[in-house]
Amino acid sequence: MMKRTTEDIVIDVIVFIIMITVFIATVYPFYYCLVISFNEGIDASRGGIFLWPRKFTLENYKAVFSNEQLLSGFGVTIARTIIGTVLSLFFTGLFAYSLSHKNLLFKNIYITLMIIAMYFSGGLIPYFVLLKHLRLLNTFWVYIIPSLLSSFNAIIMMSFFREIPNELEESARIDGANDLTIFFRIIFPVSSPVFATVALFNGVGHWNNWFDAAFFVNNRKLKTAAFMLMELMN
Amino acid sequence: MSTNIIAVKGNKKNKKSIAKQFRLQIYLQVFALMGIAYLIVFSYIPMFGIIIAFKNYKLTSGIMGFFTSEWVGLEYFKEFFTDINFRPIVRNTVVISVLKLIFTFPLPILFAIAINEVKNQKWKRLVQTVSYLPHFISWVVVSGIIFSFLNEQNGLINQILVLLNIREKGIPFLAEPKYFWGMLVISDVWKELGWWAIIFLAAIAGVDPTLYEAAVVDGAGRMRRIWHITLPSIKGTIIIVLILSLGNLFGGGLGGSNFDQCYLLGNPVNHSVSEILQTYSLKMGLAQGRYSFATAIGLLQSVISLVLIYSSNKTASKLSGVSLF
Repeated sequence: MMKRTTEDIVIDVIVFIIMITVFIATVYPFYYCLVISFNEGIDASRGGIFLWPRKFTLENYKAVFSNEQLLSGFGVTIARTIIGTVLSLFFTGLFAYSLSHKNLLFKNIYITLMIIAMYFSGGLIPYFVLLKHLRLLNTFWVYIIPSLLSSFNAIIMMSFFREIPNELEESARIDGANDLTIFFRIIFPVSSPVFATVALFNGVGHWNNWFDAAFFVNNRKLKTAAFMLMELMN
Repeated sequence: MSTNIIAVKGNKKNKKSIAKQFRLQIYLQVFALMGIAYLIVFSYIPMFGIIIAFKNYKLTSGIMGFFTSEWVGLEYFKEFFTDINFRPIVRNTVVISVLKLIFTFPLPILFAIAINEVKNQKWKRLVQTVSYLPHFISWVVVSGIIFSFLNEQNGLINQILVLLNIREKGIPFLAEPKYFWGMLVISDVWKELGWWAIIFLAAIAGVDPTLYEAAVVDGAGRMRRIWHITLPSIKGTIIIVLILSLGNLFGGGLGGSNFDQCYLLGNPVNHSVSEILQTYSLKMGLAQGRYSFATAIGLLQSVISLVLIYSSNKTASKLSGVSLF
């Protein structure tokens, strides 16, 4: 190792300042929320709590867990996240699987249609009209069906499936498996990294989405936790 | 891909064999066609629905109303251009978008380079992991955090300002329009910095290490190595990300956060600086039922975005030879 020059030291100091700033700026807001959540409410509004709860209490959490509306919101959120992610994973997966075959007939037409759909959209209003006339508004399925297929995820999956050796699929076919069986019994197990990645993106999207609950659903029983939180803040 | 699907080319019995081939890959075709049918319903029908911007559309006329309602030409566009809200909305959209581009685009590059200079692997990984966590959090939660930090009476920032005797009373960050844009930019940087740094870090990881070794032999210090090796090596990635964020400029750049931020943090007090094309379109459409007018506003934004992505791509490919398509 060479001798450390002044330049090295200056850079190390600057880098350390950037790192520690980003670290504190990212972690502290979460920590602060956690501390406040364990502190008694009226006492917290007086301020002065920075690092540790002053009047420790679990009342806030009790209030959350005894609020039926919030609980139902969490129920809906959990249901849409699980159902939506699983269905989307398989629907998008099957689509990507078929498009990953080199000699699929009309493959280029399918891919072109998919890419156009990825870059262009009709915007909010025509989409709303469509949902209304498909009778999806005000149902649980408005959370699930419109996000069944994601072109972006399909492209990620396709590029992964292309790398899987053909022999795996061929040998299964010789043993008499059809494409559906091959997908579930062979492609799915060997592609777990890409399924996990796409499931993560998808699940986070479902968990965080407040827009559809706010504008496509009126029924209080179908509102999601993210929406309830938004209402609480306003 | 499979043994029994044989590609047939230039065959006289081509038609027959296409049908035969189709039957052989019937499962795959069903999967593909299911997806295409889905795209036609959920992407292409709404795309055709854009024509209601040029028509007098009533919600009761249904999807067929896209085609049957009467043409009104550019009436709704003219109406929007003469709307008293037109100038402030366009100004807000442009200013917010440009401010975000200026800050949210270069900072992740700087951060990625800084991370790359850290020697301690554990510390490096810790900061990197922590830094991209906010990306996974909803804007709803982020705005909750913003409220608890910037509140006039007991927000954390104001508490500190008062405690350090910098101010006697808290600053009304949330109620005063002049703080709104800064709040948007800072929260966007906070949320997306680490996430976008991942892409640049991946590009930096791909740089040939022998280049650095050669530079060390030639006596280049760390700063010169960053400037003459790291930055030029990730130039392609920087340009691609720049084109992408320019293409979504009015959506809010990389994170596409303009709508979430302006809708969730906007209130009657900061209305004059928080109303943008998207929120106005939503208000006009879903709240007031002026569907054609709202579609016209949405279309205007899409057209500008399309022009932007096309021209920035063209400029980039001329200047640097790197382009998206």
